Amino acid sequence: MNKSLLKVDNLTMKFGGLTAIDNLSFSANNNEITSIIGPNGAGKTTVFNCLTGFYKPTDGEMLLSKDNETIALKKFTDFKIAQKAKVARTFQNIRLFPAMSVLENLLVAQHNELMIASGFSIFGILNLKRYKDKEREAVEKAKYWLDIIGLTNRADDNAGDLPYGDQRKLEIVRAMCIEPKLLCLDEPAAGLNPKESSELNKLLEFIKNDKKTGILLIEHDMSVVMGISDHVVVLNYGKKIFQGTPYETRKSKEVIEAYLGVDE
Amino acid sequence: MEYFIQQLINGITLGSIYGLIAIGYTMVYGIIGMINFAHGDIFMIGAFIALIALILFGLTGIALPIVLFLVLLITMLFTACYGWSVEKLAYKPLRGSFRLAPLISALGMSIVLQNYVQVSQGARVKPLQPLITGGLEFFKDSEFIVTVSFLQIFIVILTIILMSMFTILITKTDLGRAQRACEQDRTMTSLLGINVDRTISITFILGSSLASVAGMMFVLYYGVIDFYIGFLAGVKAFTAAVLGGIGSLPGAMLGGLLIGLIETMWSGYISIEYKDVAAFSVLIITLIFFPTGFLGKPDIEKV
Amino acid sequence: MKPSSEIKSIIKDSLFTGLISLALFGPIVGLKTSSKGQGLFVTPHVGIVSLLVLACIIGRFLIGLNSLRKKEISFVSNITSTISSYMDNKGKHVAITGVLFAIVFPFLPFTDRYVLDVSIMILTYIMLGWGLNIVVGLAGLLDLGYVAFYAVGAYSYALIATTFGWSFWICLPLAGVFAAFFGILLGFPVLRLRGDYLAIVTLGFGEIIRIILINWYEVTNGPDGITGIPRPSFFGLPFKKFPEEGEASFHTFFNLEYSTMHRIIFLYYLILILALITNYFTLKIRKLPVGRAWEALREDEIACKSLGVNPTNTKLTAFAIGATFGGFAGSFFATRQAFVSPESFTFIESAIIVAIVVLGGMGSQTGVVLASIFLIGITEIFRDLEQYRMIAFGGAMVLIMIFKPKGILANRKPTITLKDHLNE
Repeated sequence: MNKSLLKVDNLTMKFGGLTAIDNLSFSANNNEITSIIGPNGAGKTTVFNCLTGFYKPTDGEMLLSKDNETIALKKFTDFKIAQKAKVARTFQNIRLFPAMSVLENLLVAQHNELMIASGFSIFGILNLKRYKDKEREAVEKAKYWLDIIGLTNRADDNAGDLPYGDQRKLEIVRAMCIEPKLLCLDEPAAGLNPKESSELNKLLEFIKNDKKTGILLIEHDMSVVMGISDHVVVLNYGKKIFQGTPYETRKSKEVIEAYLGVDE
Repeated sequence: MEYFIQQLINGITLGSIYGLIAIGYTMVYGIIGMINFAHGDIFMIGAFIALIALILFGLTGIALPIVLFLVLLITMLFTACYGWSVEKLAYKPLRGSFRLAPLISALGMSIVLQNYVQVSQGARVKPLQPLITGGLEFFKDSEFIVTVSFLQIFIVILTIILMSMFTILITKTDLGRAQRACEQDRTMTSLLGINVDRTISITFILGSSLASVAGMMFVLYYGVIDFYIGFLAGVKAFTAAVLGGIGSLPGAMLGGLLIGLIETMWSGYISIEYKDVAAFSVLIITLIFFPTGFLGKPDIEKV
Repeated sequence: MKPSSEIKSIIKDSLFTGLISLALFGPIVGLKTSSKGQGLFVTPHVGIVSLLVLACIIGRFLIGLNSLRKKEISFVSNITSTISSYMDNKGKHVAITGVLFAIVFPFLPFTDRYVLDVSIMILTYIMLGWGLNIVVGLAGLLDLGYVAFYAVGAYSYALIATTFGWSFWICLPLAGVFAAFFGILLGFPVLRLRGDYLAIVTLGFGEIIRIILINWYEVTNGPDGITGIPRPSFFGLPFKKFPEEGEASFHTFFNLEYSTMHRIIFLYYLILILALITNYFTLKIRKLPVGRAWEALREDEIACKSLGVNPTNTKLTAFAIGATFGGFAGSFFATRQAFVSPESFTFIESAIIVAIVVLGGMGSQTGVVLASIFLIGITEIFRDLEQYRMIAFGGAMVLIMIFKPKGILANRKPTITLKDHLNE
């Protein structure tokens, strides 16, 4: 039984006179991959930016179920979304810390826990065992994820030196290190070759099934969308024009029109 | 009341000088997104070139208006060379480097220019006897006589003329269009066959010419300069640019006037010792609470 | 051999460069203004201008021939990368040797009072550089007003010590606390700003502090500064030639011949210890979560936010810690000089410290040491050429940004490695 994880209600985002998202409502479930698709400029990334606290929506609600309580994402601003609400995201143009090592990238994602364990640096400076243990634990967690994406042998290299496809995967597992309830992926398959793309599918399936994390996905690559989505939301000009299973989406007249245009 | 009017007049004069410098900051910021830290020193160089030219022409015995006109042209020409060279040497190689690199390079350039002038012209202040004397007096019956000197009139009128010419240049010519296109998107502009490097160079040339006029005004108005005047004037003019809205040309002029007025009013009514604190506080407060200034465009964070 | 058309264009370029340099140097260098009696006069200097112009033409010609540029650049980058890779392998040995050398340094035969004074100055700059390195190098925040915290430290030390007469070891932490307080006070509103705006705001803050120091006579004694700041004592033993009745002095207690060198040597060790503490602390905190968050913020602030890192608080810690060390250095400065005045805390001072960090390699502790020794030490020897030294400073900053933007020593080592973790 899938429980509803995210409920977006009448979300509206205006930039001056431009309405980027218009009264959008949809929901996403636990242990499911929900894809948001739509032509360029449909407002997909703006939805993400609202969900992850980078923009403050003009109107509407975004409710997340977390540990038997419902929290309104609107109340959290930027970094608190990840810290408190446990919503993680990746970016369209990869945002790693390129001059830091792969392992360090994954440790920064565990910053808040480590910070508390280090007694806001005081225990850390004093080299207390309590902090050392926690740090070891954090490295283990990082290693766990690196094993999964097969980058363990590159843990000590700079993240910026990795090939493009590996950087994508690293960004995803870095987001997983904050142990999110909801993972928002902004075009994770962009620029990947078919082999990398299928590896990505496997990783996402793993996150969904084994980690019980809900995934929200923006993607243009239809083979990815149709292959792994449980649910598809189609946007056009900031409005939802369709919602359904991948199969239904493929058959939908509105969706075909939105992508291919209408014969007059 | 009379005192207030006097301060107002002084403020407008000072504001004209700051406004002319501020245009250089705002244009460069608009086109390559960097704070040209050395711009204040370009202004200082302009002041020195004007001083040297004034002394040289002063010896020839030509009529004063002609001297001023020639000095103006010479100052603009020679200072523009500095602006152009600084860009070529210190900023152009840094396009595409990390964000703070141009600023650090500009800081280095500022140190170089200051000390270069100190070495070649000496560290002592350079006094110049007033060239334009006399003025109009108002409110002769009251206790406080308001004076508008001919020099102040000269400064304000010259500023208005330059600003008008400059506005026409930016809004009506191909050069102005190329410049605005570069502000929007440099890559696209170059794909459209516009020489971006040249446009940027011209921006620096224009900016430094205007700053050099401000330098000449400064020499005439205060009658004393040294190698260090660029620092304070630069920070104040930058404040003006930010206050008016960085990237906006009318904003720079407006900001200049405001800073000039704030400074004279502050000195006139509050405390002359802390007049520079006023400028710095305005800078800090504007940047923190009001970073788009009066006429600037909001800077939306792209994710 | 190059085709003649190319040679022609190189010659054209060189002559153009000559023309421009004539316009640059002609008025400013060539026509020196000097005041005689009432008015100003202009003295022409044709020789030096011709030399400069000629140098520009030849320089441009050689660059055009491509012979100079490549060789010089590869030469320089070879040297720096040799140093870098050497430091990577032998970093620890070099550091230990360096510290040992610093410890025995006062007793080496060639160390006289002058050399020791210069060394104290270099060490002060090393400490300031290390303090600022936390802010600029690790957290990536360009602070152009660092001298403000140095000033706050120096003045609070001076005021506390002259008013209450407390000892150095009480005043020092207090001065650090004051500086940290100012750091937070300034940092809280400004750390949201973008990098370049932050730089200008910190510069403004530095100037405000200085102007206040000049004008707030009641407290700071204005431009005259504060005099009679107590000298530090050796665990309660003053370095006085004639101690007061019933009081021991350093030389009487240890039965030594009185020498002014004792105090200088003591000061030397004092700043050495302070600097080493700064270094130890920095190296340590870099490996803690907060240190990693600093570097992550420098790399990508948006990504940090998406991972739940609080950017303002994280930057604030960097700012406050940097300020604290600036304050410590300021205290030392006050007690060493026994005198503080606003003159010592000008913008140029901030610029020098920034230059040390930038040239050494942002984030590199060894780089700061090398840059301080080079910039302060070598140029101190040519004191008469003070103004030329500043030209060289500024020029070096520009060149470094162009050719080696990460600084001379910029090989970053990861704060933690999986290899070490697995070997544990």
